[in-house]
Amino acid sequence: MPRAIRGVLVQCDPSIKSIISKIDNEEHAFIVEELDDQTLVIKENMMTTLKMKLDEILKETQNNDESSSDE
Amino acid sequence: MSVSTLASFEYLERLPGTTFRRLYQQPSTALAIFRRMLPHLAKTFVMALLYMSKPFPLTDLDLWVNPNSKRERDKALQLLSRLYIITVTPPSRDDPQTITLTQKFGESLRLALTGGGEHNSFGVPSNDSVAEGVDLAFLDEYAREQWEGILHYVVNSVGQSMGGGGQGPTDAVKHLLEAGQLVTTGRHSGKGITQAGFSFLLQEVNAQVWTLLLLWIENAEKMELDSVEVLSFLFMLGSLELGRAYSKDTLTDSQRQMLPYLVDFGLVYIPRSSSGHFFPTRLATTLTSDASALRSVSAGFDAASSAGGAKGFIIIETNYRLYAYTDSPLQIAVLSLFTRFKARFPNMVSGRVTRKSVGNAISHGITSDQIITYLSTHAHPQLVKNASIHGGPVLPPTVVDQIRLWQIENERMKATPGFLFKDFENGKEYEGCVKYADEIGVLIWKNDFKKMFFVTRVEQLRDYIKSKKLK
Repeated sequence: MPRAIRGVLVQCDPSIKSIISKIDNEEHAFIVEELDDQTLVIKENMMTTLKMKLDEILKETQNNDESSSDE
Repeated sequence: MSVSTLASFEYLERLPGTTFRRLYQQPSTALAIFRRMLPHLAKTFVMALLYMSKPFPLTDLDLWVNPNSKRERDKALQLLSRLYIITVTPPSRDDPQTITLTQKFGESLRLALTGGGEHNSFGVPSNDSVAEGVDLAFLDEYAREQWEGILHYVVNSVGQSMGGGGQGPTDAVKHLLEAGQLVTTGRHSGKGITQAGFSFLLQEVNAQVWTLLLLWIENAEKMELDSVEVLSFLFMLGSLELGRAYSKDTLTDSQRQMLPYLVDFGLVYIPRSSSGHFFPTRLATTLTSDASALRSVSAGFDAASSAGGAKGFIIIETNYRLYAYTDSPLQIAVLSLFTRFKARFPNMVSGRVTRKSVGNAISHGITSDQIITYLSTHAHPQLVKNASIHGGPVLPPTVVDQIRLWQIENERMKATPGFLFKDFENGKEYEGCVKYADEIGVLIWKNDFKKMFFVTRVEQLRDYIKSKKLK
């Protein structure tokens, strides 16, 4: 009998996916199923938390604050 | 077909058949649905069937349609039956399938086209002495003010106040905008425009009016107004003549209750001195017409009052500098959602689209495509002319690409809520399900090797699996 699991399918770059797995490693609260290196299924209610955490990490790693606004 | 058509479709299609039957008692409604909602092929069918006294065999209908256009035919027929305009007999062995116009719709449309009958469905012109000073220009000005007030409120709900004049919309309207989630209150920075709100701003005026009216109808059901009467009143408004006074006497109670709200929206004007009649404005009379030329309120009214009024006003250069030749606080407010303004002159503002300003807009839920659409719809004629000479796109490609990139930067992943199916017993079962999911258009991802797939909706598929199990 096939099973249906509710979740959010996330499609992203392998690099982002590895960050997500890293976040999940801490408490295993996010990932329902890792499908391949670009897709995984996340628990629906944890999506916003995950996005916030991801944004935080990305902000630390990439320091490309703009200089484009100088006229 | 325009956005408004789609929006009103969705609403109408949710209505039960009984509602339709009552709606179609009004010739104005039948006519409005006919001219506004139907694609050309569906119109052809309706016209052909209109004076046909006997049910028409479906096979004969097929003869009219080019075999290559079967899809269009099916689509048209489906739409017509969803709107309860035609009835198709179910397939049976003895009789061929036949198709007829529903009785009420046929009767009403015939009445609407050829006249006659005492239905008052197209409004009753008032014979009272018309209030002075109410002419076309006045009505246009009035409608523009009301509508811009509403739009302005939507835009201004973003943090900074532009100090735009006017008293803004009434509380009822504000409440409605919130209920429809065009603006949000609370949460982040007090009030904010939402993505829905921004798409609302980008629509052409007619679509905006419909969006708001449909919101209102949904809320009106709570006020225990009869949605049939409300809808037929709206359809009637669409068939009135601009600049004429119409009598209130023939309106039903719920329709009279509706009038104050329509005044808030700027769809009708009621002179204070005499309450016996009302004037429809241009917003109301174009409700069901195909006059989709009205782009923005001001542009629409400009075009209406002075032929060939200036439409576009935005110039954007390859270095992201933006010049907007406008003095409308509304347009400036919309632009300031995603532009960093540097200077403001009496007839123009200049600024720059930056990563930060676009990022800010995106964090409000506005998408890059919406920004680009807005820029290209309102591009200055000079940009458009240049583009057509060189055969290139209207907006500088670098800017367009960059705005898209800025959005992607913040969206590293694509998230789709839905259901993961796994643990299939054998490959055959898996393949059957995947194929079915793909056919009904819910399949997003699959992996044949792991025998797993992901769908957006589960109901149909669940039934499918169950029915398979029974066999």
